[in-house]
Amino acid sequence: MSAQTASRLELFQLVKRPATSVIVFTAVIVVVFSVQTSGTWISQANMTSVLQASATLGIMALGEALVITAREIDISVGSIFGIGALVYLGSASTIGAFPAVILALICGGAIGAFNGLLVTRFKVSALIATLGTLFIFRGICYALTEGFSFTAGDQLRQSVAYAIFGGYEFFGYKDSILWLIAMVVVLHAVVFATPFGNRLLALGGNDASALSRGVHVTAMKWQVFVLSGILAAFAGVLEASKIGFADGSFGRLEELQAIAACVIGGCLLTGGRCSMVGAALGAFALTGIQSFLVLNSVQPQWFNVLLGVIIVVALIGDKALHAWALRRS
Amino acid sequence: MTTNGAPLVRMENIDLRFGRFEALKHVSVDFDAGELVGLVGDNGAGKTTLIRVLSGLYTPTNGRVFFDGKEITYFHPKLAIELGIETIQQAVGLCENLSIARNFYLGREPVRHVLGLPFLDFTKMRDDSRKVLHDFGLRANVGADDEVSLLSGGERQSIKIGRSVAFKNRVIIMDEPTNHLSVREREHVNHLALQLRDQGLLVIYITHDIFQVHKIADRIVILENGVKIADVKSGEMTSDELEQIIREGGRTGASQEVA
Repeated sequence: MSAQTASRLELFQLVKRPATSVIVFTAVIVVVFSVQTSGTWISQANMTSVLQASATLGIMALGEALVITAREIDISVGSIFGIGALVYLGSASTIGAFPAVILALICGGAIGAFNGLLVTRFKVSALIATLGTLFIFRGICYALTEGFSFTAGDQLRQSVAYAIFGGYEFFGYKDSILWLIAMVVVLHAVVFATPFGNRLLALGGNDASALSRGVHVTAMKWQVFVLSGILAAFAGVLEASKIGFADGSFGRLEELQAIAACVIGGCLLTGGRCSMVGAALGAFALTGIQSFLVLNSVQPQWFNVLLGVIIVVALIGDKALHAWALRRS
Repeated sequence: MTTNGAPLVRMENIDLRFGRFEALKHVSVDFDAGELVGLVGDNGAGKTTLIRVLSGLYTPTNGRVFFDGKEITYFHPKLAIELGIETIQQAVGLCENLSIARNFYLGREPVRHVLGLPFLDFTKMRDDSRKVLHDFGLRANVGADDEVSLLSGGERQSIKIGRSVAFKNRVIIMDEPTNHLSVREREHVNHLALQLRDQGLLVIYITHDIFQVHKIADRIVILENGVKIADVKSGEMTSDELEQIIREGGRTGASQEVA
């Protein structure tokens, strides 16, 4: 093997590593946005809100990434996010803050379990199944709040749970970003260094082969839907603790951002390849872009246009990049 | 024969229906340890279906399956693998997106416990799969960390066979193991099948090429339209006679049953 083909093979491996492009992309936008706004974008005042939004979106994106790795999709995460926040705020005054957090996570997990049931047991396409639950639970969010919003009472605001789960500030930053970092570390280890992760990657890549090796494919798909539900509800709790109230539209359209964050982050929608670091960075890049548009007084509606364009370009780019790398190797 | 005198695998009156389609009809067949059985038949004869019952992928509609004298009531690939039944299939068995080392141990990954949590033992995974790569003569520049997507068909087949040899198994099922292989690779695979049999394993060798399997098998079982139409020792019939049975199989005994 010549030295040239060796370096090409290394290049191929690097390009194929899912997070490579998002790391480059994030570095570029940090520099460009900072320079273009003369430092306002990178200022602490702006970063506080960008990191906060990245944290909750990122945690939701991590759950989405697990589902995408299993070659499924969960578009109900935005509604689960809303349910999580409302259950937490609505029940904290009666059952206490910690139990309210647990209850919110249980509700998220239960919705995820329902999604998983539809997909694995009733063989409904994941896109359609979670589109259904997206509407069901958004509807329930509106019905619960009846046009008003749930707010955190004084008792809740002074509780330890409120501080731990998103309400505490350190150096001016809310603690939810620490939760995101912790979860990236944990999930990265789970996906890439445990038997569970090995089987998850395997069934996403080729479910028939995984099954032939004794992997419980349906049970595992079910489990990732549950995890996605729990993570989305947890993100809702963190967001509710940060702003202190939630209404019926809490988390609306965030499901698309979560999916976009995964796609930008190098998770292939065809399954079997993902990056937890990438999904979190994808969430940061998206909120960074949103904030950049606001700073430049661009109408916020343009962000949705950009969101769609990013997804399409990322998908085409991903394919082209792999094709190019394969040709060169 | 196993210790208690029963055959290692006994399949009794197996029926398997997919909706209205009858893939297997009253198939009864025994397999003994230390035997190389050729399972032969045309495409769609039910060879692979029968094997998928043994490898836990399909649950029979009717009939009973015994392994080592015990009746099997729950069918899942996991259980088959735990019993020591290894299936080498053409289309499945390796996940292209994973490295050779990860594929090698898929489903039974070795772990090291760190703080009580199970983490993959990458060192063991790499070392064991590297040994197989070496034993099976894969290209020198193929490493245990390389993705399966980079490998040729023959190399993939070698890894599957190597994996089945590396673990303590009692039954090796080879489903069309030599398709798409070069002549030398094919001989290598057939030689391996004989070696495994000599070690006392049951080897079930599926093919539609009667001439190839007649040379190595102790016994030939022929399926046609989901029905067993022949079960003979290799010495009792020539490959030409067996081919004649396959050619006429659908129209003689079996066709009467269908009608």
